[in-house]
Amino acid sequence: MMTKDMAIEVRDVQKRYGHIQALKGLTLDIAKGQIFGLIGANGAGKSTFIKLLVGISKADQGDLRIFGLDPNKHLAELRQQIGYMPQSPALYEDLSAADNLRFFGRAHRLSQLNSHVEEALDFVELSQRADDPVGNLSGGMRQRVSLACALVHQPRLLLLDEPTAGVDLKLRSAFWRHFKQLAEQGTTILVSTHQMDEAIHCNHLAIISQGEIIANDRPDNLLLRGRATVRIWRKGKPQAFQFEHYPEELAALLHAQGLDKEVQRVEIEPSSLEEIVLNMLEPSQDIQEIKDARLN
Amino acid sequence: MLASIKRTGAIAQRVLQQLRHDHRFLALSLLMPMAIVYVLFIFFDSLSNPLFNATPYVLPFAAFEIHFITFILTAIVLVRERVSETLSRMLVNGYRQSEIILGYLIAYTVLATLQSLIVLVEITWLFELDYAFGALASMYLVIWLLAVISMALGILISNFAQTEGQVIPFIPLVLLPSIFLSGVVLPIDALPTWVQRLSLLTPLYYANELLGPLVRGDALGHHLAALGALPLYGLLVLIIARFTLSQNE
Repeated sequence: MMTKDMAIEVRDVQKRYGHIQALKGLTLDIAKGQIFGLIGANGAGKSTFIKLLVGISKADQGDLRIFGLDPNKHLAELRQQIGYMPQSPALYEDLSAADNLRFFGRAHRLSQLNSHVEEALDFVELSQRADDPVGNLSGGMRQRVSLACALVHQPRLLLLDEPTAGVDLKLRSAFWRHFKQLAEQGTTILVSTHQMDEAIHCNHLAIISQGEIIANDRPDNLLLRGRATVRIWRKGKPQAFQFEHYPEELAALLHAQGLDKEVQRVEIEPSSLEEIVLNMLEPSQDIQEIKDARLN
Repeated sequence: MLASIKRTGAIAQRVLQQLRHDHRFLALSLLMPMAIVYVLFIFFDSLSNPLFNATPYVLPFAAFEIHFITFILTAIVLVRERVSETLSRMLVNGYRQSEIILGYLIAYTVLATLQSLIVLVEITWLFELDYAFGALASMYLVIWLLAVISMALGILISNFAQTEGQVIPFIPLVLLPSIFLSGVVLPIDALPTWVQRLSLLTPLYYANELLGPLVRGDALGHHLAALGALPLYGLLVLIIARFTLSQNE
């Protein structure tokens, strides 16, 4: 089952907290060098899964391999290869950014710790603020220091638990630029998020809901699962039609409707990734209802 | 082994760095014990009576104060790390539980060493205690050991709390029984046998078993068994702390 191209292989992993089944038999492969997005609502099981991978939580059942190794048996070895950015910044506010990096870096056997620290701070564009106490930095800067802490030992696998939660748009785009740069250098990145607009940056997505993977595909393939709404406006009033595959079906509609002079306007609105995912999470709800609910 | 020592050193250094930055905490940690000793002095002074000799009571009180202060110093530290997720981050980066506990203990020992010294010097000066240097050094050793053990106990209880608020009920649970079970207020022999056995649970009992004879002018060398009990107690607390500091959630 284990292949050398895979960074993470997960088979039927289960985890229970008391009476809550946090993960219900998760099965997943993450190829090396990918930016893999784990999408789900709060409480869907994203953080639980990441905690299993970093070894701060243990699976009740199932098989889990990171670079072909079982994290329960090769934890020390894997820790050198894994960078973890928790949901909260998890930094010492009274220490400088550089001191935080130095401290977490010292847990690894790095021959040139100071140059690793400088490099990581430079990567997140914080070299100028290296000596400022973290407590004096803005929320966004703290997130960048947190990312730098996860990068200081140059891990092959980066596990990011909602790295852009509460981060402004400009910084968010900077973060994704950093992630893409790292992936180009060969780092595998697993990023959990509930921000759909970010998911599109990933090479591959898994949608997790109530501890189960309900979709696992490339973003462009997921987009194909959507529907399009076509609105034809006559006398100032729209008439809406829904299509599974509108490029093929639109012509038939236009023929049937007859493009007379009363048609003032034709709108085509394909589902966004967010709507497709929302529809997967709540299949009972119609996309149109979701849209309407949002408009209201 | 060497890597483990280095990581322990890294934690101790980081904690000391944090302490150095927190001037208010440092000042309060050193001034508070001094102020409490002064209040004690005023209390005994107002009782002044040619027939009352405060000396036998002063040192056990100093021991209790050190036990109290140093225990509280560390009772919250690991909880704070757990809440801020820096504990997870340390573990994920490869710091081990034993290294985290020892690193904290070493760093805070620097502070506790100063606190014990300040309290003993102030008590000797205010109460005009007339002991030879050797006797004072022996008393200091006992109080210092008690301080280190109390901090280990603080670290241990902080393992059982998920939030800072959850630490608070543990504080009276550890400190209040120690007043009654250690012989500070009442001689242990006056207590029922089963309560006397409970007194073995508080480190203050072992410290007072040593301070009593020292106050009466006996040499520490005559009480080596009791002296050995203190580090043994501390070691046991550290081992339990190591195994209760869970790596997993």
